[in-house]
Amino acid sequence: MNTALTNILDQIINSVPLFKPELALITGFVISIFSSLFLTKIYKHSTYITTLLSLIAVGYLLFDQIGQTATGFSESWIVDPLSSYARIIIVLSAFVITIFIKHRHSCNNGDVYSVLLAAVLGTHVLSSTSNWLLAFIGIEMVSIASYILVGYFSKNKIQAEAAMKYALFGSVCAAVMLYGLSLVYGLTGDLNFEATAHLQGLMDAPELIVSLALLFVFVGIGFKLGFVPFHVWTPDVYQGAPTSITAFLSTIPKVGALILFARLYRSWSSTDFYFSELLEWYMVVVAIATMLIGNLAALRQQDAKRMMAYSSIGHTGFLLMAIYAYQDSAAFLFFYISAYVLMNLAAFLFIDQLEQRTGSTAINSYAGLGKKMPILFTAFSLVCISLVGLPPTIGFMGKLMVFSALFDFTGAYDNTAVILLLAVGALTSVISLFFYFRIPLYAFLRKSEDHAKQRIAPNTLLYVSYAFTILLIFFGLFPSFLIDLFN
Amino acid sequence: MGLLSILIFLPLIALALILALPNTAKSSYKYIALGFTVLQLGIALYIYQNFQGAQAGVNILSDFQFLEQASWIRLDLGAIGKLEIDYLIGLDGISLPLIVLSALVMLMGVGASWNIDKSPKGYFALLMLLNTAVMGIFCALDFFLFYVFYEVMLFPLYFLIGIWGGVRREYAAIKFFLYTLLGSVFMLLVIVGLYFSVTNPETGAHTFNMLHMMNPSNYVDGSFFSFIANYHEVLGIPARLIGFIILFFAFAIKVPIVPLHTWLPDAHVEAPTPVSIILAGILLKIGGYGIIRVCYSIFPDMAALTNWWLALIGIISILYGALNALAQKDLKRMIAYSSVSHMGFVLLGIASLTAEGISGAMFQMISHGFLSAALFFLVGVIYDRVHDRYIYNFRGLAGIMPKYTACVAIVFFASLGLPGFSAFIGEAFVIIGTFNAQSMTTGIPRWMAIAGSAGIFLSAAYFLWTLQRMFFGQTRLQGGTAWASALTDLNRRELLILVPTISLALILGIVPSLVFGKLNASILKLIDIINPYI
Repeated sequence: MNTALTNILDQIINSVPLFKPELALITGFVISIFSSLFLTKIYKHSTYITTLLSLIAVGYLLFDQIGQTATGFSESWIVDPLSSYARIIIVLSAFVITIFIKHRHSCNNGDVYSVLLAAVLGTHVLSSTSNWLLAFIGIEMVSIASYILVGYFSKNKIQAEAAMKYALFGSVCAAVMLYGLSLVYGLTGDLNFEATAHLQGLMDAPELIVSLALLFVFVGIGFKLGFVPFHVWTPDVYQGAPTSITAFLSTIPKVGALILFARLYRSWSSTDFYFSELLEWYMVVVAIATMLIGNLAALRQQDAKRMMAYSSIGHTGFLLMAIYAYQDSAAFLFFYISAYVLMNLAAFLFIDQLEQRTGSTAINSYAGLGKKMPILFTAFSLVCISLVGLPPTIGFMGKLMVFSALFDFTGAYDNTAVILLLAVGALTSVISLFFYFRIPLYAFLRKSEDHAKQRIAPNTLLYVSYAFTILLIFFGLFPSFLIDLFN
Repeated sequence: MGLLSILIFLPLIALALILALPNTAKSSYKYIALGFTVLQLGIALYIYQNFQGAQAGVNILSDFQFLEQASWIRLDLGAIGKLEIDYLIGLDGISLPLIVLSALVMLMGVGASWNIDKSPKGYFALLMLLNTAVMGIFCALDFFLFYVFYEVMLFPLYFLIGIWGGVRREYAAIKFFLYTLLGSVFMLLVIVGLYFSVTNPETGAHTFNMLHMMNPSNYVDGSFFSFIANYHEVLGIPARLIGFIILFFAFAIKVPIVPLHTWLPDAHVEAPTPVSIILAGILLKIGGYGIIRVCYSIFPDMAALTNWWLALIGIISILYGALNALAQKDLKRMIAYSSVSHMGFVLLGIASLTAEGISGAMFQMISHGFLSAALFFLVGVIYDRVHDRYIYNFRGLAGIMPKYTACVAIVFFASLGLPGFSAFIGEAFVIIGTFNAQSMTTGIPRWMAIAGSAGIFLSAAYFLWTLQRMFFGQTRLQGGTAWASALTDLNRRELLILVPTISLALILGIVPSLVFGKLNASILKLIDIINPYI
């Protein structure tokens, strides 16, 4: 008995180094709570500074972990390239979003930072585990943090409604997922979805129950990723939330959920049994439906943020396609994720700049502004070009890599599913041109009615967004600089 | 940095200059654009002078001239292998005439833009970006590079039509963009497929190099597009045929063929004159060039298999375009449809798979390049003056604009294929090639040649009828005396653009060897590649 306990203790102590970045996050979380309680009176930006510093610390510790492959805490915590790179992307975008929030909501914002750190912690958990229990905890951490973030700055009815919808929809999905997990656990007796016992259990289980369990598990992940048919919350929430929070919602939680899903899909789809086949078909159908619905629904949107919501649904479909093709090397997956994060952050930064200027996120409020703000709209148009996936931008390279990966997918040449995915992926790019280009269309091609000469004063966020635009082009022309990092 | 790179990226320097200069230096933008395009034409002519017509090129890298090769993107994608993308540009007999044509038409375009006063900064900057993209397309020998230039070409055009266009400009701009993108996105899938089917014999890595794609022995056995023993099928259609059709579809939209031509009248009518000139003069040629360089060279087996259908499409485009032109009341629309008809000859000539036919198609592209540019420029002349181009609103223009009428008459006659002008050579060679095709057993029946000749007859009908309606008879104008005083004759700038173009049509009509001498070897080489599969 005693030796067992010592063993467990030993293991925990040995595993702690793997958990360093998360420990730093937790410390940062606690300090930021205290600083928002006590230090804000002395120095207004103390919590902001604390958050940035802790994110820097986390980033530093993460860089140490690059290249490591290890498991800890009884195999439930995984540190491998997949998790390290994902967490680095998450921390970097969290850094930008922190600055974003600080500039837009300068007063009474102390708790937001700590909630943001909690959300980051949740996505860290999601991206470095193969244990269902931890995964569920991760999803809930992110979800609860997100509910708070969406509602935190709500000033009017629409924003409050968005937060409420989000929370209700999220809790139901989480409950369904938990039920699915209980079925999976009941069938397999193991919580680690990569373990042999787990796969064995799924192989032996009756088909009906397996289908049901998989479907339920999909509900939870689908909610976080926002794929069809669990996407219905995104447009309302994206539109209702403050732009800085929308930027958060469209990037950080998605990366975490995506990595979890990639792990799950990879370990489950590799067998010859019923559940693998089922999973593959779920995946193909969901990817196609998500790409089509996301892009087609975006055609009719009048609001830039709502359009971006559907656009991110469309990109999720594309990412599912990338996961479908994911075998050993995750480099292309990370390239697309980085491209996606970069493009989305840039797009929301621009939307926010314009919101400050015109007080509206409606696309037709951009009419004729291209002439008044040529640089901003040129950059915004480049971001749109990248979102469509046209050269010479990072979006194009990302698409090319996903297409390549899918094409090279083992023995895929005569695989109807692959052909279908490729065709739909290509077709939706064409569709997406139509709505993304409404932004330059209004900005440059339409005449404006407002004659205000008011210009956007140069500010940090504007420079950040320009820097992102330059990166989009740079990595589009020289993708080696980015992808070599992931190898 | 070789001469070709300078040719391609020179406009980017102009673009940077234009963007850097403040708005107060507004009037200098056009001079910058003009200076750089003149320089470009100079370089293009120098290249033309030093080009060795005996070297064939097409599928042999060392035969390409002004070759530049640098490794651009090397990506290690783990399981997917290494991504090998080169900055590879060079010229052979097929691309050289088009490069010279592009430089010339660009210069005409800048000349036609002299009176643009709506945000000239953006206008000339976009024009220069378009210039770079177009030059890049004709020079690129790496499929990836080709694709990048091909897509980059779309953005400036979208904005040029969309911002400086006519009443329905938004519709025309997005329609043009969507049509082209639809073709090119699927082209991307084929490019990826080809990439995985072809290896570079030197490094063993997959490659985007077009010349490697032309060599059957570089294909991986059992790969999707492999040459020999390829059993891959998509929906029951052989993989290589699918690849060919998709690529053809992408370029056919650009040519354009009937029934994929509907973007063209809209784009032309709504586009400002200089953009129409560039559209008709250069961009349609990208379609024909793509079919020769990509479809036919990479898929010679499928070219031999499908040429009957391609020729049929060519015939339909010739006749349908001509009949439509006959029915138009808008002068610019009529010329747009005449482009559809004339580009049909290009497709017919290419599909004939005879040396005469393909040479004729190339010649027709060059000839149509500057003749259609001249036609659109001439439409621009009256549109600039009275902002109307309805055929029935003008009558007896010869009385008040004699020089203009003379130019129009010459260009009309040149376009309808009067012997002595360049279009005659192009069309005659296409018809001869098509006629000979039956004896060469390339699968094109003689009646197609006859149908093509009917197209020439129809083009005479619509051009002459238009001439008669607008220029002859008593002067009667819709706008009355206001128009009569506005319709001044050609000024010096306009003559400066038109006279050289007309002389060029005449020179090439009399000395066609200026073009044939450079492209003959390449055409024969291309025929050699396709011949084994007939």
